[in-house]
Amino acid sequence: MNMLKYVLKRIALMFFVLFVIMTMCFILIKLLPVTDAAQFGKDMNLILQRREALGYNKPLLEQLFIFFQRSVFGGDWGISEALYRGQDVWAVFISKLPATIMVNIYSMCFSVPTGLLLGIYAALKKNKWQDHVISTLVVVFISVPSYVYAFLVQYLLCFKLDLFPLQMNSGTDYFSFSMFMSVVPAVLSLAFGSIAGLARYVRAELSEVLTSDFMLLARTKGLTRSQATIRHALRNSMVPVFPMILGEFVAILSGSLIIEKIFGVPGVGQLYVNSITALDYNFFMLLSAFYTLVGLTAGIVVDISYGFIDPRIRMGER
Amino acid sequence: MRKMLKRVLVLALAAAMTLSLAACGGDDNKKDDAKYTYNTALSVFPTNWNPHQNQTTTDAEILDYISEGFYAFDYNETEDGYKLVPQMATQDPVDVTKDYVGKYGIAEGDTAKAWKIVLRDDLCWEDGTAIKAEDFVTSAKLLLDPVAGNYRADSLYSGSMVIVNAKNYLYNGKTVYATDMAANGYHEVVKGADGYYTTKDGNEVAVKLNDACYFFGASIADYSNYFGDSYATLESLADAEGVIKVNDEVMNILKAVSTAIGYGTPDEWQEFCFISESFPEMDFSEVGLIATADNELVIVLEKPLEGFYLLYNLTSSWLVNEDLYTKCTTVTDGVYNNTYGTSAETTISYGPYKLASFQADKQYVLERNDKHHDVKDGYYMTTTWQVDYVAEASTRLEYFLKGDLDSYGLQAEDMATYQQSEHTYFTDGESTYFVALNPSKSGLEKAQAAAGENINKTILTVKEFRQALSFALNRDEFALATMPTLSPAFGVFSNLIISDPENGTAYRTTEEAKKVLADFWGVSNEIGDGKLYADIDEAVNSITGYNLEKAKQLFNEAYDKAIAEGLMDADDVVEIKIGLPSATSSTYTNGYEFLSNCYTEAVKGTKLEGKLTFTKDDTIGNAFSDALKANQVDLLFYVGWNGAALDPYSLMEAYTSPNYQYDPAWDTSTAMWDIKLSDGVTYTASVLDWTYCMNGEKITIKAADGTTKEFSCGTADENPVDRFAILAALEGAVLSTYDMIPLTGDASAALKGMQIKYYKEDYIFGVGRGGLKYMKYNYTDAEWADYVSEQGGKLVYN
Repeated sequence: MNMLKYVLKRIALMFFVLFVIMTMCFILIKLLPVTDAAQFGKDMNLILQRREALGYNKPLLEQLFIFFQRSVFGGDWGISEALYRGQDVWAVFISKLPATIMVNIYSMCFSVPTGLLLGIYAALKKNKWQDHVISTLVVVFISVPSYVYAFLVQYLLCFKLDLFPLQMNSGTDYFSFSMFMSVVPAVLSLAFGSIAGLARYVRAELSEVLTSDFMLLARTKGLTRSQATIRHALRNSMVPVFPMILGEFVAILSGSLIIEKIFGVPGVGQLYVNSITALDYNFFMLLSAFYTLVGLTAGIVVDISYGFIDPRIRMGER
Repeated sequence: MRKMLKRVLVLALAAAMTLSLAACGGDDNKKDDAKYTYNTALSVFPTNWNPHQNQTTTDAEILDYISEGFYAFDYNETEDGYKLVPQMATQDPVDVTKDYVGKYGIAEGDTAKAWKIVLRDDLCWEDGTAIKAEDFVTSAKLLLDPVAGNYRADSLYSGSMVIVNAKNYLYNGKTVYATDMAANGYHEVVKGADGYYTTKDGNEVAVKLNDACYFFGASIADYSNYFGDSYATLESLADAEGVIKVNDEVMNILKAVSTAIGYGTPDEWQEFCFISESFPEMDFSEVGLIATADNELVIVLEKPLEGFYLLYNLTSSWLVNEDLYTKCTTVTDGVYNNTYGTSAETTISYGPYKLASFQADKQYVLERNDKHHDVKDGYYMTTTWQVDYVAEASTRLEYFLKGDLDSYGLQAEDMATYQQSEHTYFTDGESTYFVALNPSKSGLEKAQAAAGENINKTILTVKEFRQALSFALNRDEFALATMPTLSPAFGVFSNLIISDPENGTAYRTTEEAKKVLADFWGVSNEIGDGKLYADIDEAVNSITGYNLEKAKQLFNEAYDKAIAEGLMDADDVVEIKIGLPSATSSTYTNGYEFLSNCYTEAVKGTKLEGKLTFTKDDTIGNAFSDALKANQVDLLFYVGWNGAALDPYSLMEAYTSPNYQYDPAWDTSTAMWDIKLSDGVTYTASVLDWTYCMNGEKITIKAADGTTKEFSCGTADENPVDRFAILAALEGAVLSTYDMIPLTGDASAALKGMQIKYYKEDYIFGVGRGGLKYMKYNYTDAEWADYVSEQGGKLVYN
């Protein structure tokens, strides 16, 4: 019961935070000055007239009210006025989402097990050469920006060795083998950072747990090292790691600006920044609402997940 | 545990090996032997190629091949220049003005106002549906739809081709406040019985809170803080659209602000205002477009237009497919929208290619439209044109070297490798790029005060200082450091600007234009027997724009003058703020570094040594072009104007009209300029008036003896000699201000793939190197794939 109350309270708070963030986003983007560069022989009134028709000259609070009424409650997020002129922003967003999701899911499928395995292996081989090699690579991949090894992957694997296409294939046959092959470079580039992060985290957590008193107790009770590690150490070390993996799911929907650009993934990674640069209000607000909602929901899910992973943690208890 | 880990590792390695081996299977994209595919890449992708709404050159690129104009550029008979030839039309337009006397405002004796265009009888959409003259009339009605307010509606009434009543139909019964009141100089105003002001012509004078006004270059709402409590008064007086008609109360508010933060001149308040234009209610039948037969279209013009410019205005078309267009139209809560030309499904072609597929931000494919008349005539060897989105230049180069792209635009970092390649083609552009300076004393004083104690900016008002900045600049090295494909520029107009389009004469090749450069760069006196240069060509070719010695001398003169005039104290340090559109553009960041280093070095050994510093504002973004006007920065570089290559007369407005000028301080309505006309007399008029005069307006010019006369030499007049003389003189006037310092000419360099063959090696305005129409192939797609494979999958172009 306490759990249910806690969840309901968190959801109510989530909507309040969403409302506040949406209001701030709306007002801030509208406050940015709109400057139309003069063009030769252009009837600038056509532009001004369009702006007027779109209600951009109405008082800000009135525009905000219309936005909540039409978009948030009415589900009509409007038409793109700059990035994809004349097209429904929701339709454009949805059409670009699958490519991002696909690349990120492949990336997670690769990075999570690899990261966990490397972390576990490093922890078990702590201070041996295997650990040093993994830790060095981890430091390299965490320190170097993703676009650097993205270019390296592209140059070495795609151009020099000709193992993969330089960019993702066109089309929407996302489950074909050729499409899979075409996203491998992007997946690798996305995964390296995650693998390194996870490996580092798992190694640190597991190393600590392996030296805990209860591990000694487990061994003295007669468990083998493997049994003690898998049954006790791993589960305990996963408490902080698992929410981190869950948090990565948020990234699945948001994409990566740089990686998508380099590997020609026609996803949503560049939309957010472009919508601000182009002052495409409808796009910006849709993306703000969507990602804020996803982020807040993920926050709640992660918090709740603690309770499932570690029964000692109780939600909503005083 | 160890065993399990080993198993997992072995499995992972096996999976990786499998992936790698599978990848070695190579590209399964087999190409048909009979195909000739032209592969290109874009870093910015088109989004809307609706003929009524497209806005960018990228959008227009699709449109260029799925549509066509009534006339088109083609090679002339000797193939060393261009000519305009019938495309959708069968012949040149026929003057039928006399048939319309008494209609559409045409009077007896008028000529060149009504033109009959005879259309080909084999025009059709890609699905085979015939295109009739009536379709053009219907499409024009859709284009001018008052509810739609289409972005391209003005193509039927702005510029030199003004179709009768097109604008009236668009603005049906509306009053719009679209003209900056001060754009063409201040107006005399009259107070009406109702207390509101109008111009002498009876146009209402109003303030618009939400639209960018001339005074700020932004809206009053954006700068409401300058109005204090008065802004609330303005808001209370505004109508629903934020328009406030000007009465004494409003005028006093405006005057108070202009006095406080402007120059304080009596009429400066007009810079906040707009003047009205009222349009009558109009039925489309009154618009000057008539289908007189299935293949005959008559266009009726408000102003006479003939010859090259008539044909040039008809090189594009407004035709849309009515059925599809109507299906794509929605009006929601009074807001019009149309998705025509935003996807393959909403696109239908009548040009030489049809859009086979389109994936946003990824790829589009154009396939040859075999129903098109040019294709039937044997042009367009390319069967498919595939355009991919490839954002990164390095990736484009890799694609190119693998034979997957047929051209690659060289970047600065590629020049060392490919500059000398036989496959590299250099192409001059139309634009000239400038260093633009802010010599507005009031603006600089404000910026100077804000910058702090002992910081000086007002030295920029000293012409010698700006001259020194020009002479201290090594343009060749600047181009190398920023965009190596560019070449130095020394005048306002580039080599591609055509001053006599009928004959294809490039402005820069004329004697007058050469003299402007020779005079401006001070080599005129060195021409002739026994002098430094044998003729003017040699003199002009010798110009580098770089003279460090002279620059140092001018820096000293500028310093002395600034001290003498009280613009600067001896312990002041000059600080010039350079505007950059962003911090991530290497072109601009390198440019900033170059300029600051070059000028810091140049003042060494002068009185300004150690006293010239630079800062940057790299957050300007979209407001880049207005940053000088807004006094946000003191210097911009790589600014300029694009387009109007065939009409330098109107392009001159970019430098002399306050509507377009980068420089906020040069008041061209009062700056007088002497020009010697063909009657041998030198006349005086303002720079702005001269500009209007060569674009068709009648102005009053004054001779040295005080006599005045009305004069015009616009396109409708038969006075090309004077018109050209004025153009050259005005170029000299613009240069002489040293507010806009020519920096580089636009140019590009690209590698051409070995699969394709250009029709001509030399680039010719209008036809390029033959374009897709004439392009040939050395290999079919299948042969090309084999060839690339034989080369080991990597081609060598250097």
